[in-house]
Amino acid sequence: MDPSSSIQEPFDLIRLSLSERVFVKLRGDRELTGILHAYDGHMNLIMSDVEETIMIVDVVDGAPAGQPATVNVAKRKMDMLFVRGDGVILVSPPSRT
Amino acid sequence: MSFFGFQENNLEEERQRIRDGGSHENEDVAVYTWGEESYDGLGDALQEGGDDFNDETFGGAGNVGKDFDFAGQASLLEPGLTHQKAANHALPSPAQSRLDPSPAHPIEQQSIWDDRSPFSALPRENGGASRFAERGERREPSTSQFSPFPESPVLHQPNASQTGARTLQDIEAEMRAAALQSRGASQRQQNALRIQQEEEQFLQDQAYQRQRLAFQREREQERELQLQALQRLQQQQVMQLREQPQHQRTPPPRMLPVSQSPRFLDQRQMMLLQQQQEEQQHQLRLQQELQEQLRMEELERQLRAQQISQLNQGPTHFNHRRQPSGPTIAELQALQQQQLHRRQRSQSPAYQDFNNIAPQNVQLQQRLLAELAQVEYMRDFQGATQAEQDALRAEAMRKIVEAEKMEDKRRKKAAKIAHMSRYNDLMTQSDKDFITRIQVSQLVTPDPYADDFYAQVYGAILRSRMGLQTQDERVLKFGTGGGISLGNTQKAATRRPNAMQRMEQQVERIVSNARRREEEKGLHSLHSLQGALGKTSGRSYKAAPRQLLQVDDNPSTSPTLAHAHPHISKEDATAWSSEGAAKEAAKLSRETLGNTGNVVRKDPLTHRQVLTTLEALYDLVLKVEHLRREQPQPEEEDASRQWQKEYDDLIELLWEGLKVMVPLETSNPHPFVSLLSPSKGKKLLPRLTRHIGSARMLTLMTLLVACFTQLDVVRQAPLLDVLEETAERAEVERQTQAFLGSVLQSILPIVANLELHVVTALLGLLIDRSQDIAAVAKTKPGLALLTLFLSRVEVIKQAWGTGAEPVDLMTAGAALEQQAVFDQFFVLITPHFLSLFPSSRITLQAHHPTSAALAIDIIDQPVWQFLAALALQAVPEQHQVLVTSLRDKVLENVLSANKGWVADEDERRTKLANVNLFLHALGLDSSQIAL
Repeated sequence: MDPSSSIQEPFDLIRLSLSERVFVKLRGDRELTGILHAYDGHMNLIMSDVEETIMIVDVVDGAPAGQPATVNVAKRKMDMLFVRGDGVILVSPPSRT
Repeated sequence: MSFFGFQENNLEEERQRIRDGGSHENEDVAVYTWGEESYDGLGDALQEGGDDFNDETFGGAGNVGKDFDFAGQASLLEPGLTHQKAANHALPSPAQSRLDPSPAHPIEQQSIWDDRSPFSALPRENGGASRFAERGERREPSTSQFSPFPESPVLHQPNASQTGARTLQDIEAEMRAAALQSRGASQRQQNALRIQQEEEQFLQDQAYQRQRLAFQREREQERELQLQALQRLQQQQVMQLREQPQHQRTPPPRMLPVSQSPRFLDQRQMMLLQQQQEEQQHQLRLQQELQEQLRMEELERQLRAQQISQLNQGPTHFNHRRQPSGPTIAELQALQQQQLHRRQRSQSPAYQDFNNIAPQNVQLQQRLLAELAQVEYMRDFQGATQAEQDALRAEAMRKIVEAEKMEDKRRKKAAKIAHMSRYNDLMTQSDKDFITRIQVSQLVTPDPYADDFYAQVYGAILRSRMGLQTQDERVLKFGTGGGISLGNTQKAATRRPNAMQRMEQQVERIVSNARRREEEKGLHSLHSLQGALGKTSGRSYKAAPRQLLQVDDNPSTSPTLAHAHPHISKEDATAWSSEGAAKEAAKLSRETLGNTGNVVRKDPLTHRQVLTTLEALYDLVLKVEHLRREQPQPEEEDASRQWQKEYDDLIELLWEGLKVMVPLETSNPHPFVSLLSPSKGKKLLPRLTRHIGSARMLTLMTLLVACFTQLDVVRQAPLLDVLEETAERAEVERQTQAFLGSVLQSILPIVANLELHVVTALLGLLIDRSQDIAAVAKTKPGLALLTLFLSRVEVIKQAWGTGAEPVDLMTAGAALEQQAVFDQFFVLITPHFLSLFPSSRITLQAHHPTSAALAIDIIDQPVWQFLAALALQAVPEQHQVLVTSLRDKVLENVLSANKGWVADEDERRTKLANVNLFLHALGLDSSQIAL
């Protein structure tokens, strides 16, 4: 058995992460971590035990250009989530330390 | 009118012609020339018997519907057209719109507008006139025979007021109509005509017009009566709109001035009688056709009518008769009057057809009586019917409004249908077939089962749950593996199984046709769709995009690639494989060496390798499962052998993939243990056990026991002794649950069948291999495994005790051996009894919710179970040790339960149940503990 034989297309890499915890980066400054259960060719994902992290950048009106905008992070958890593929930027295994 | 040569017909000629004795031949010519261009000569045929109520039945008086206008063209013209139509229809007599569908000649239309009497239009209608004529023809002999009116000259008393209001045009029209009427050889009216002709001979020019007017009016009245049954409602509506003078000009019979001479009345009466006779005849015709019995009753009634007082009997008689004939006659305004007439007419020729018994003189008597009463009736009627008339008008209004509504509705509907059907028939049948073919060809897949996998499996589960016959695959297969997945069709549960089957057959046929065509072409299936959507110009479709990625369909089977990072491009892959060939050889030799004792240590599998291996294993498992579903019948030996070989090969691949046979010391953790680390690896095991033989499963379990401490769930178990919710703890919890639920469940049936010495060996192996058996026992999986072994031993011993299994020397030796191992184990575990409890390891802090205490008690439960199993195995000395060690723990639990140091009833019960679990194994109970 050659494990690499299953790697023939990019989606096979995602397949490796099935039933594993993955990190998903979404458009709109959102990130997800959760267990990937299913995906399809549109990168629609079904995930469980998801924690979503939303970056909210508040730019103060009239503030000088140099002043950094404040970034708030909102988090929420969901038991089960369907992620529409058009928002997915990146799917990866969570960083292992 | 002038077009038809009527201009030359001046009054003198007319008169002369009448004087000449009313030569009917000439008049016939005049009848036809009188007709407008609308006259088609079909009126006679159309108005044959039974047609009198057609208009009422079919609503001919209303606006002409557009049902026939399927293209919806008329709706475009709608607003103007309908209004125009409405204008045309509203004021002229409804009879015109009914009988004269073609637009009137302009001049005549003008005349209609001038004289808005509903009857002004009547004379123009050839259909109506000829109908009269035709009717009269049939009736003529009897009429002449039985007419109560001898051919006596009748003096028409003209009404002065009416004369003044007439226009010359009207008069001409009326005269012509009258001529037509007489010329038409209306035998029904022959008497009247004769009377009139005689009368006209005596009258001078002055009187002539008036007399004609009167006659005309009589005709109108007669017609009115005739039409009343059909169109009274509309007529009244029109009359309501009409002004009073017009009303006076064309008065209904009841409104005739009383000043009219008796002779006039007489003639009128005669006309009315004729009219009614006609109606009666019609009724009789119907009745004769339908009710022969009723006719006999009529005969009887006729006889009775002549015997009893005629005036009294008459109305009732007619009321009775007219009931079934419908509302039209019953609604007649001059009901009373007509009833009288009918009473007289009941002996009319129409009846004489079958009722020859009635003597002729009775009619004369009746006529005289009627004549006497006539004036009074006229007088009475004018006042009496006013209210009734109003009511009828209201009723008529209502009906008209209803009819309009219905018409509107119908028009809307028709317009809608026309709108929707705009695109009807745009596609030919071959177009539709073409599209169906494309759609179906899209459904064909090389692996219908896999494409529809979840629906198929779900359907199978559902069917088995419903106890239905398991039909493995709901797919249509064609030739070399192509087919269409039919999804989860529940055969028995579908409401329309027939429709479903038909659809399947249809699809099957279409697809098989498509495939045959494809085979004929000898093309690869990929090209079957070429040109399906039409021909592309030129050959552009053949200019495929240049291939940039070269993916090897048959990649190198070199296992060294497993250690390489996966590469997509072929160049890299070949490079790696050539490089790996040498490694391969080296590895093989090392493994052989390893089997002889010199284990070559390797790095453990990386996570990535584990995942790829697992995916490959899952592929294999799916293949195997699929193969099992396709197992051929035992009768087909060749197929069975072929299948068995295929199956065995796959199982072999699976077994190799599990890496169970890799020497123990190859790596830490062992590759197999590594494969178990992801939860999907753990979940893979139950799916494998079905296919792997029990001998191999035992090997697998031995490996598992030997490498138990390497398991992630064992190594990371201490994380569970923390109450704080962390991602790591949750992950470990998840993995632990997966292990308990999948791995242990899959080895449970193996353990349940183990011999004692094997269990002993496994326990010994576990103790040997794990440096700290207490550490293993402190983990959930370890505790579960130990409990599993101990209970198996207990079961075997009980079987011996009951004699279910023979105790021989060998088993006795095994028992001794087991006891030795157990003693060793007991000694090892004794110092850690208290720390086995998660509740002892977890330090409950103030900030933890109260529910945590209950949770701890629940996770304590397996420990108590383990201790109970231990106690069952233990000898009395060991019992002593057990009780001494656990005394505090037991007391603590019982005390807190009894003293109410618990949050709720659940916790108390759990604590007591836990304690009892253990105490019962010792033959004790928590209630025996005195505090």
